[in-house]
Amino acid sequence: MGILKLVLRRLALGVLTLFVVSLAVFLLSQALPSDPARAVLGREATEENVAAFRAQYGLDQPMITQYTTWIKGLLQGEPGVSYSNGQPIMDFLGDRIQNSLFLMFMGSLISIPLSLVIGSYAALRRDKAFDNANSVSSLILAAMPEFVLGAFLVVLFATNVWNIFPATIRIRPGEPPWSDMKGMILPLMTLTLAVTPYVSRVVRASMIEVLESDYVEMGRLKGLPERTVLWRHAMPNAIGPTFQVIALNVAYMAGGVVVVESLFNFPGIGLAMRDAVRDVNIPVVQFLAMFISFIYVVTNLAADIGTILVTPRLRTRLK
Amino acid sequence: MADENNTTEPSTRALTRRQIVAGGTAAAALVGLAACGSDDEGATTETTAAGGTETTAGGGTETTAGGTETTAASGEGKTGGTLRVAVVGSTNDVIDGQYIVAKPDQARLVLGWEPLVNYDADFNISYEHSLAENVEVVAADHYIITLKEGITFHNGNPVTADDVIYSFERRLDPDLGLAPALSVLLDKSGLTKVDDRTVDVKLLQPAVTFLNGLAEYTATVVPVGYTREGEQIGTGPFMLKSFTSGAESVHVRYDGYWGGAAYLDEVQIIDFADAAAAVNAFTSGQVDAMVDLPFAQAEAVKGSSDLTLLVSEAGSWLPITMAIDQAPFDDVRVRQAMRLIPNREQMVQQVLSGYGSVGNDMYGKLDGSYPKDLPQREQDIEAAKALLAEAGQENLTIDLFAPDDTAGLPEMAAAFAQMAKEAGVTVNVKVLDGGTYWGEQYTKYTFATSFWGTRPYLNQVAAGSLKDAVYPETHWPPADSDFADKYLAAIAETDQDKRYAIIEEMQTEEYEDGGNIIWGFNNLLDAHANYVMGFEARPNVLNLDHFGRGMKRIWLDV
Repeated sequence: MGILKLVLRRLALGVLTLFVVSLAVFLLSQALPSDPARAVLGREATEENVAAFRAQYGLDQPMITQYTTWIKGLLQGEPGVSYSNGQPIMDFLGDRIQNSLFLMFMGSLISIPLSLVIGSYAALRRDKAFDNANSVSSLILAAMPEFVLGAFLVVLFATNVWNIFPATIRIRPGEPPWSDMKGMILPLMTLTLAVTPYVSRVVRASMIEVLESDYVEMGRLKGLPERTVLWRHAMPNAIGPTFQVIALNVAYMAGGVVVVESLFNFPGIGLAMRDAVRDVNIPVVQFLAMFISFIYVVTNLAADIGTILVTPRLRTRLK
Repeated sequence: MADENNTTEPSTRALTRRQIVAGGTAAAALVGLAACGSDDEGATTETTAAGGTETTAGGGTETTAGGTETTAASGEGKTGGTLRVAVVGSTNDVIDGQYIVAKPDQARLVLGWEPLVNYDADFNISYEHSLAENVEVVAADHYIITLKEGITFHNGNPVTADDVIYSFERRLDPDLGLAPALSVLLDKSGLTKVDDRTVDVKLLQPAVTFLNGLAEYTATVVPVGYTREGEQIGTGPFMLKSFTSGAESVHVRYDGYWGGAAYLDEVQIIDFADAAAAVNAFTSGQVDAMVDLPFAQAEAVKGSSDLTLLVSEAGSWLPITMAIDQAPFDDVRVRQAMRLIPNREQMVQQVLSGYGSVGNDMYGKLDGSYPKDLPQREQDIEAAKALLAEAGQENLTIDLFAPDDTAGLPEMAAAFAQMAKEAGVTVNVKVLDGGTYWGEQYTKYTFATSFWGTRPYLNQVAAGSLKDAVYPETHWPPADSDFADKYLAAIAETDQDKRYAIIEEMQTEEYEDGGNIIWGFNNLLDAHANYVMGFEARPNVLNLDHFGRGMKRIWLDV
């Protein structure tokens, strides 16, 4: 009973957050200094072209009308038409959303378990060889910008040293994102190397804290096998606090990896967002901002609920 | 949709790249390709039902791997295969037989649609690669266009005078805004069908530049009723099979092509969000050719034994523009001083990495009328200082505007500002976002930057150097000049020598007093794998040898 109430309350908060975000996104895009009609039509445009453009996209309507039309469209799954190519947004972004979600899924599938294992093992072997080596290498990796990391992998595995993996990915329009798994290798490798150091360090810190706690010591004193102490008692308490960091990194993989998308020509929403901002393609900017916010809200919601469910202390408090 | 065209597995072709270098037979064949294009014009093609054979009058025949289909043309090329071309593009891409927004659109247009006339390598009007058999100049305002025989659209229908008239009307449609310059010369009432292959065109004013307008690559013939949203039908060597904005387009060979069917089975134009990714894909063999190779990569491609660099001279230019009716440029001495400031050779090196040629403040480079006798203007800081002192502008400080959406312009402005320091001129470079730059202030700036494509001299005057030009950036000509009258006289003159004589006077006036600082022209820089045969380095308006004129004679030696 308690858990359902919690989920509902969090959901309501999520919806409220999205509403506030929608207001901010709308107002900010109105405040952009550049005129979308001019930006899209370019220098070829005459005054008549510009006026026709404004009328066609409802830019001559009052702001309130524009906002409600937009929200209504979003809710009905018709987020509007791109200024730059005149196509309905979902026609050319649908595939990209699918691709980005798949990249996020695969990236999480690899980097989360890897981080958990590396982080906890480093905590158990604290200040020993593995921990030290891991600390140094993850600091180096974390300090490296993704494009350096990715470009290095391309040189190593695709172009100059070995030609074993494709340098860029090619997901044909209409094909599922897993149609070029070979092409996924380098983007996933880059993401994993970028995300794992962060998450594993948080896992390590959290694990060390738990391992030093009274109840772990109690378990050990009671003579429980080390495996039981670790997996039954320490892990559930250590993993909870890391969920927020994991959630942030997961959401990041969906929309924030413009550099990785650009380097591997991955047809995702990060690049679409970059182009849309550059071209003042407001309907696309607005839609993607809302979609990426949605991903953040959902992953955070999942992290919140997950934290409560796995942490015995918090779980019992619900009842 | 995707299932039916699964003919070529991209990864299998990458393996064959190494085998190609060994086979040397193709190099010799390459030389004859340009010539055979015109030989094919007279050849007749007959297509039987699917799986049958197709023969032409031209030389030998080639059999595809499947052996079911024999294609024609001349004996040099091998039929079959898929050409994958990388172009930097985004979801701004559109497909339209008469309009482009970005580079990949150009490639797609040229594959599927053709204009009535064309330019040859010397920039003269030519009927090769185009649909008209002849355009008779009855008078400077009266033209009779005759179509070649036997040209069909991708749906098999013959191209007729009605289609030509519809194509003009669509380009004149003010709602579409496809060709603003043409609507000055022509309206619907001037178009008359004489017979199925002949259209009579009467212009609103005498203008020999109309012929040049016909040669623009977007001035294509589309079938009656054509729209951007509807079926994509043209006359070109390849038919559009699929198009996804910002991703790719697939084009398949049109076997009924009037110039003899192309060699390739399929052409894919693939969008890359970023040039660096395109370079990686190209050098690792994921694509066969790349449009607009970044200058920095040119040496690497030159050094590779598998890749070929294609450098084509072009007539496009990046000017610094001075509004001649605004202070301080309303004093001709200040304009002249500014033109003495840039070290042009250094600008070409700095802005174009050397892939260009020095300019002489004169446009229309590929045009036959381009003045080769005017002395090359060089950097002369002392003379510039003297002119500025005379004009009372010794310590001139001025803003130079540039947009952030056009590669080269901010760099050019910065390079010029650096050189201006030597002459005591402080140039503050203001880089604005593209939308703002090309907005309401565009053509009103005192001191700004711009870009222009390849145009003949008189067409460029109409576009930028008249008070009522499409983009009067420099506000040329001066109030007391008869430049505009000379322009009208020149476009009304059908005799080339007499016309060139008038043009020479116009050019001299612009050379002495004009508002454009034209320090150089950029080359087009493309690259392809060695096994792609048929591209030639020659002066061109469009990249990749005018996209191989629709890739009609491009083949893969694999």
